[in-house]
Amino acid sequence: MIGRSLGKIYMALIIVFLYLPILVLITLSFNASRSRVVWNGFTLKWYREVFENHVIMSAFGTTIALAVLSSLIACFIGLFAALGIFAMKKRDYRIMLFFTNIPLLNADIVTGIALMLWLVRLFPLGFTSVLISHITFNIPYVILCVLPKLEAADFHQFEAARDLGASSFHAFIKVMLPDLLPGLLAGFFMAVTMSMDDFVITYFTKGPGVNTLSTLIYGEIKKGIKPEMYALSSLLFLLVLIILIVVNILMADQDNKKDNMERTQIRRRTLMKKIVLLFMMVCALSAALCACAGNNASDEGTELTVFNYSEYLDPEMIAKFTKETGIKINYEEATTPEEMYTKFSSGAISYDLLCTSDYMLKRLIDEGRAQEIDRSAIANYSNIDPKFSDLSKSFDPDGKYTVPYFWGTVGILYNTKETDGPVDSWDDLFSGKYRGNIIMQDSMRDSFMVALKYLGYSLNTKDEAQIREAAQLLKDQKSDVESYLVDEARDEVVAGNAVMAVVYSGEAYLGHEYNEDLAYVVPKEGSNLWIDSWIVTDNCKNKDAAVKFLDFLCREDVANANFEYIYYSTPNTAVVQSMDEDLKNDPAIIPSDDSIKDCEVYEAFDEKTTQLYNELWKEIKAE
Amino acid sequence: MSKKLIELKSISKSFGACTVIEELDLYIRENEFVTLLGPSGCGKTTLLRIIGGFETPDRGQVFFDGEDITKLPPNKRQVNTVFQKYALFSHMTVAENIAFGLRIKKKPEDFIRERIKYALDLVNLSGFEERMPASLSGGQQQRIAIARAIVNEPKVLLLDEPLGALDLKLRQEMQYELIRLKNELGITFIYVTHDQEEALTMSDTIVVMNRGVIQQIGTPESIYNEPINAFVADFIGESNIIDGIMTADRQVVIGGQTFECVDTGFEKDQPVDVVIRPEDVELLPPDKGAVTGKVTSVIFKGVHYEIQVMSSIGINFLVQTTQYFSVDSLVGINVIPDNFQIMHKPKSEDEQILREGEDHENQ
Repeated sequence: MIGRSLGKIYMALIIVFLYLPILVLITLSFNASRSRVVWNGFTLKWYREVFENHVIMSAFGTTIALAVLSSLIACFIGLFAALGIFAMKKRDYRIMLFFTNIPLLNADIVTGIALMLWLVRLFPLGFTSVLISHITFNIPYVILCVLPKLEAADFHQFEAARDLGASSFHAFIKVMLPDLLPGLLAGFFMAVTMSMDDFVITYFTKGPGVNTLSTLIYGEIKKGIKPEMYALSSLLFLLVLIILIVVNILMADQDNKKDNMERTQIRRRTLMKKIVLLFMMVCALSAALCACAGNNASDEGTELTVFNYSEYLDPEMIAKFTKETGIKINYEEATTPEEMYTKFSSGAISYDLLCTSDYMLKRLIDEGRAQEIDRSAIANYSNIDPKFSDLSKSFDPDGKYTVPYFWGTVGILYNTKETDGPVDSWDDLFSGKYRGNIIMQDSMRDSFMVALKYLGYSLNTKDEAQIREAAQLLKDQKSDVESYLVDEARDEVVAGNAVMAVVYSGEAYLGHEYNEDLAYVVPKEGSNLWIDSWIVTDNCKNKDAAVKFLDFLCREDVANANFEYIYYSTPNTAVVQSMDEDLKNDPAIIPSDDSIKDCEVYEAFDEKTTQLYNELWKEIKAE
Repeated sequence: MSKKLIELKSISKSFGACTVIEELDLYIRENEFVTLLGPSGCGKTTLLRIIGGFETPDRGQVFFDGEDITKLPPNKRQVNTVFQKYALFSHMTVAENIAFGLRIKKKPEDFIRERIKYALDLVNLSGFEERMPASLSGGQQQRIAIARAIVNEPKVLLLDEPLGALDLKLRQEMQYELIRLKNELGITFIYVTHDQEEALTMSDTIVVMNRGVIQQIGTPESIYNEPINAFVADFIGESNIIDGIMTADRQVVIGGQTFECVDTGFEKDQPVDVVIRPEDVELLPPDKGAVTGKVTSVIFKGVHYEIQVMSSIGINFLVQTTQYFSVDSLVGINVIPDNFQIMHKPKSEDEQILREGEDHENQ
């Protein structure tokens, strides 16, 4: 008795751990609030927005087209491969099977990088390269599904068909294929699932402007995932669930063969026909989608390949630019500067324009990867606040390379109801006053920045004594800290689980939207000030077009649209002047000149200093 | 006699290092029921597959009606096969199975429907058109397989152990069915089996094969009554095979005892195999036989008793008789001269080894 109920509890636990996260996701997709921690009632609006969102729908189209097309081709290749392998002698058979299994077990990242390195030599990365990669990793699944059916197949039936006058092709189609079809369909649907599921390989082999749902969702991580994505993920989950059920029914067909009732046989035949029909419809649909995708891609004329942080530009502005100038934009996104650097310097894709953060800009400029820009040629550059020439000094001392895009600060987001007295100093994080209610950034640089600034040092210090002092401070503070978080830092304060958190100014503005009691401050000791700017890369062949794009971004209406898309601080004075007073006075949106006078821009460290920081950070986190 | 329809000329076939058929010549006449009989692995199925076009011989030629068809693929041959495991198309109905060959030949649908009906009538399965093969019994499936083959009106029907998977009673019924079909259709049957009873019941001609070599060709009666060597004798029915020496014409010495027989033309004192069918050994009262013996075992077999007798000349006889003898009783043993089959000792080592192995099993 006890054993049985224990078993049931065990089972229940497994199911809970497997499905609870998905249940949470699905619940959130119906949440009227944008926040992960506030429930504002039931809504279907995210589902509506998914279908209205051009970017999501195009990524969805690409995903389906890619999944169906790659699976179809993989089925074709896999079927013949399986036939070939099956006909081999025992030893060769095993060796072959071993080799086809390797891609299944191989780490995706290895396969992804390998495919990228190989494909980029043959042609520029784009839809085709992703398609080829997906076909590559789908083939083993098809082979694995078809082989058992081949083992079970009755080859005498094939001979009987030949004997009755059928050519070998006819005999194969009429007699063998129906036997293999359940395996082939199972392989097809498995391949579709794998293709839709894949992120890593797609990420490495895709070209600019090509986005599948998984790469699109991943791109959202930096800004915090939007609720549309919950809705989309729920729909995807449902889709995969349906496919799996279909596959299971197909598989069950084989198991029930002993059930000889004539009627079930006939019913199954009709079911089979229906599935084949459905299959063909899906194929036709995907062919149509592909044709559309193909049309989009084959537009000739001037093109610019633009590399930016994800969710960092209103997609409608891209369409607008193309409409106005006829220049097509291949838009590519990444989440971190390091990722951008890796992708850019691998040369897999030739980017014309790139937007990244201060220290990475310095690195790229130092490496000679940026072209000089004549700011006077950019008519709308006059909109950019002149103070940014000064602020950008650390990475672009002569103002020759960069055009500022967005900027911001790091500060404290706090709950005015839970704090007594004004919060205006890093001291509130170290004094122990809010013990156990503090959230720090789970990032080495940002945490050290807080400590260094509090101690009155530069956040770019290379002085070992200063660095060690800051590390000691952080170690002592650790018992006061509730947790070290990145994206969730804001939500914890919104939800009331913590009183204050170190956050980026952009996050702070959104936090304020969810909970009116929250306020943001840049501590008086100074903080980090970051600037994301555009450069024209040394790859760019059409500088005129690139300058046109930069000019477009500086234009008031465009800059305003982008500002309203992301709500980070804009360097565009025209936009700032036309803002509502509320926004203008929000320190998260427009930090006062006074509050940033002691702020500094991050600079890249040399290797030795980086190592020191890393070691100390590890010690802090480990204790 | 009717003309030769199929002719095989010095056919050889091996798979890897294993030779399955060696320098084989054979012809099959029109309208004949020919059975290829032999133990497993004797090459009979391979021979059938060569005729059907599923295997190509390494050497030699296959002629059909005077035409060389050695290289012709199976779908171009005027023969149809009934496979050992029936090989019905599992995802098609009975009607679709039968119509398969006709549809390939693009016959009109009316005609096809008529032929399906005719074929099902012929195999006594009218009304089974819409059934799926998996819902049929083994015997029914076999009959559908035959129907599927004969609707195409082949000149030759090849049957590869078609009754192997059926139980005894069904097998006997199907044997009669096949004979009836053959007579009704008037086509040539080439039948492969390892079951000697099946071969004796149905065939016009039996081809006994062993290790890829034809041992004997003849009518069932001649094969049974006058086996050409010990292998054939032993394979067709049970036999006492005894070492003997021909001391003169019509005179053979077994275990020191001289017996009268009808065979002539052997050299003096030539060692021979003496074959005596168990039903040809007469058991008499002890004072009447040529030699005496003692019954060592008695088994009731239904129609007869199977009795082992140890004779006074040191030879064990297998005897089939309707008369009962109790164990340990003394009997006289007699064999009339006509029933001694005198054979040359086997020439090949293979045959010898095979025989010794079987002798060993009998003891």
